[in-house]
Amino acid sequence: MDPAHLVKAFFLMLPTFLLGCLLFGRWRWPLRLPAAVLFGILVPLAVAAFIPGVMDYLVSFCTMASIYAVLSLGLNAQWGYNGHLNFGVAAFFGMGMFTMALFVSTAPTGPLALYAQQLFGLNAPFLVGLVAAAVMAGVLGYLVAQPILHLRIDFLAIATLGIAEIVRLIFQNERWLANGPQPFSGIPQPLSCVFKAPRCGWLPDWFLDATAVLQPRDYAYLYLVIVVIALAIIYAMLEAMVRSPWGRALRAVRDEESSAAMSGKHVKSLRVQSFVLGCVIMGIAGGLYAPFMVTIDYSHLNPLFSTFLVWVMLMLGGSGNNKGAILGAFVIWAVWSGTGYVTSGLESALSNIAPDIARRMSFLRWAFVGLLLAAIVLYRPQGLLPEKKRVSRFLRGVPEN
Amino acid sequence: MPLLEVDSVTAGYGDTEILRGLSMVVHENEIVSIIGPNGAGKSTLMKTVFGLLHPRQGSITFNGKDISRTAPYDIVLQGMCYVPQVANVFTTLTVEENLQMGAFPLGKADLSESKDRVYAMFPKLRQRRRQLAGKMSGGERQQVAMGSALMLNPRLLLLDEPTAALSPKLVDEIFERIASIRNTGIAILMVEQNARQSLMMADRGYVLANGENRHEGTGREMLDNPEVGRLYLGG
Amino acid sequence: MADSTMTMTDGDAASETGSGAEVAARSSDGVRSPRFVGGVLLLVLVAMWVAGWFSGTTAEEMLSLTVWGVMLGGIIALGGIGLTLCYGVLKFPNFAHGEFLTLGAYITYGSILVLPQTNPIWRFSFGWELLLGMVLAIIITAVVAIVLDKLLYRRLRMHGSPLVLLAMASLGMEFLLRGIVYLIWGSNYHFYYSGRANPAMDFPFGVRVQADQLFVFALAFILVVALYWMLTRTRMGKAMRATADNPDLAQVRGINTERVIAWTWAIGAGLAAVGGVMYGLASQMRPDMGFLLLLPLFAAVIMGGIGSAWGALVGAIIIGVAMQLTSAFLNPTYGPAVAFTLMVLVLLMRPQGLFAQN
Repeated sequence: MDPAHLVKAFFLMLPTFLLGCLLFGRWRWPLRLPAAVLFGILVPLAVAAFIPGVMDYLVSFCTMASIYAVLSLGLNAQWGYNGHLNFGVAAFFGMGMFTMALFVSTAPTGPLALYAQQLFGLNAPFLVGLVAAAVMAGVLGYLVAQPILHLRIDFLAIATLGIAEIVRLIFQNERWLANGPQPFSGIPQPLSCVFKAPRCGWLPDWFLDATAVLQPRDYAYLYLVIVVIALAIIYAMLEAMVRSPWGRALRAVRDEESSAAMSGKHVKSLRVQSFVLGCVIMGIAGGLYAPFMVTIDYSHLNPLFSTFLVWVMLMLGGSGNNKGAILGAFVIWAVWSGTGYVTSGLESALSNIAPDIARRMSFLRWAFVGLLLAAIVLYRPQGLLPEKKRVSRFLRGVPEN
Repeated sequence: MPLLEVDSVTAGYGDTEILRGLSMVVHENEIVSIIGPNGAGKSTLMKTVFGLLHPRQGSITFNGKDISRTAPYDIVLQGMCYVPQVANVFTTLTVEENLQMGAFPLGKADLSESKDRVYAMFPKLRQRRRQLAGKMSGGERQQVAMGSALMLNPRLLLLDEPTAALSPKLVDEIFERIASIRNTGIAILMVEQNARQSLMMADRGYVLANGENRHEGTGREMLDNPEVGRLYLGG
Repeated sequence: MADSTMTMTDGDAASETGSGAEVAARSSDGVRSPRFVGGVLLLVLVAMWVAGWFSGTTAEEMLSLTVWGVMLGGIIALGGIGLTLCYGVLKFPNFAHGEFLTLGAYITYGSILVLPQTNPIWRFSFGWELLLGMVLAIIITAVVAIVLDKLLYRRLRMHGSPLVLLAMASLGMEFLLRGIVYLIWGSNYHFYYSGRANPAMDFPFGVRVQADQLFVFALAFILVVALYWMLTRTRMGKAMRATADNPDLAQVRGINTERVIAWTWAIGAGLAAVGGVMYGLASQMRPDMGFLLLLPLFAAVIMGGIGSAWGALVGAIIIGVAMQLTSAFLNPTYGPAVAFTLMVLVLLMRPQGLFAQN
């Protein structure tokens, strides 16, 4: 085996282990942990041995899919837990994205400042930026929730759609904020010194020797680990909240069970809390997205990719179900990427016969997604992994998932 | 041959069964009253007869034709009209428009004839024809609802708790009206909470409990039946 | 639907249930009267005038912007009356409605390319071939709407699917239709008549309006009146209002609700097609025009009151004027943002809209 592939496989082990924990969710921990460890060790080695060619692509695919998974989890906290039809995911995603960018980058000075403007640049560490992204998205969510959360569900959808548009327009037009409409570039990536020169001072020599076979662009492997860790933490946190009294109260409110005999004020604050929670998570997704892209601009807040695609993911995966949210993200991102290959193939096939039509093949992708969404709604509206009726384990003695 | 024949019908919503093997008949020009406790299936029976719900077993025959699977708007054309208990008028339409909708299949000439007929039965409605139905009192709304159902001069009129939430004076008025409607040749099948009064004016009655037919007989028989009296008529 | 007695309900809400108790008007519970809301909106528009004034725009320019805003309102109204009709009867927001506009515009464009060009009518920039193409577009778009209903929405209705699923389905249709438009006509922008002069006519106070714009507004007004007439005077129109009011009762009364729904789609989509053509004429044709106009359309309809033809017109004019006035003191691309903010303002004061029934 090529030593580079072996080293890459090592980076993949932690994400695969976490995937194993998720997949073997039905089993109890004494069985689950060793199984996941075994899974986490063997699968990357197998991939490195037999299909090393796909590794690089797999990493970029999984990173993007994981970011989308975080978005889906956030949306699920709003829709699945509380029935809020939020068509403005892009607003909170964007808020997180640009906050992270502003916090971790350095404000350009001198002649550069003429070309690239930004409100501030704190050169803060990655985690600080991530927290800031979460907080800002949460604040926006809270402000937005006050006037509109009590609206009828379809009005809420349209209102959130509008808010996303406003956020996008602001980032598009306000040059002083984030260089809009020009791209905001040069977002530093966390721990990039692990791969790129100048290398970190604290790295041990054996590590430097082992990774000598890797290229600077293989940093993507490290970033995947970071994103997957974030996803795992968020998932675990949400699952814990679902089982908590808070989560049960939320579900009671959503299902309008009369046993939710709570005051109107309490109901309202619960709904706001779950909405804000969702926004915070979406902000984290944005915070993860910015360093991945290195360069961002308002066009990344296109509602198609930042809101509606996430909805397709959640509808497919199963709303009300965190595992479903993650599954939906990966499946739909795979479908989206797959359709990319199909249409490029069609494009080259047709390029000699009908060059005009050939160039437009890529537009088939959204048409296909539309049909897929209609099919989901018609044939399996509950999604692939429907929500199970959750009962507190103290009532049933059912082992925790 | 009876006008309406419900034969061993089983029906319900989702997984539950509400009507179990129910049978009953209505003859031409008679008033049949159905009484029974809440949840016995009275409203479900109405909805099933009128095609808003499909029977799982059994059949419903009207005028010799099987209407078990007919859509409501076709059943209306066959000569059966229904007045639901709640939401029985179009609140954003005027009285006149409500009546027009009652006679939706009719052409212009027949429409004015029907309107005259109904206004004759409910003179107060003629005064208020341009008022929004949603703004009328409960009793007046009931009149609009009934009038709309009578526009097509049906042979059978289904009434779902026509006196619900009305004052005693209005209750008497409604029952009088029902009797006069019957006298114009229309058969009436009604579900009623006001059991005693409805049995007094009914030709025949059925007691429905747990989705089944518990007692049947003429109105007088039911009123005299001590068991019926004890359980359903409040002694 | 449109109030046949032409009164604006005053925050009174009559109960929808048959029980006699709630005839008396429900007290405001925070719902403001239309007069109040109208007053607030007027104040906002005046504030925009003042803001424009302070940004250095002259009174003449402001007047022009206002007039163009009214014209833009006409375009939005054309799309809006179709949307309000569908929304009112079918009870879900059709996110694909914008694509009916796009289809209408592009089918007309395709027809013009094929039909022989004639001279412009009067001072308009278009000839008879545009109107002919528009008729074809109306028919095709109406058919597409009915087919979509039969294949998709109807099945969901039969299942008793909740509003959310219908909205999601319409979202899917938005992607599909948009993809088809891009596929057939590409991503370039087009003009109906490129290179043709389109001079403006002079009006007092330095206001200059193109004949096309007047045509669009007049057409919008005529169609609003026509829709209102249909809803209040024809049998099918009343049946539409009845179905919007209470679909179950409509069935009980013998109304074939599926047929009513088919007509609703046909008329709603047809009106939208006209709106698309007019937008293409007044501005230009872009394959994403449906998506672009979606927010202003919804804003106009929701502001005016779902189901009300006049509401759609008034809402559209307010939105149009707001969008145009924005350019006096803000970056013009913020137009839709301002329109949307006005909508939220109205929703907070009077959720049912200005001209609502309930």
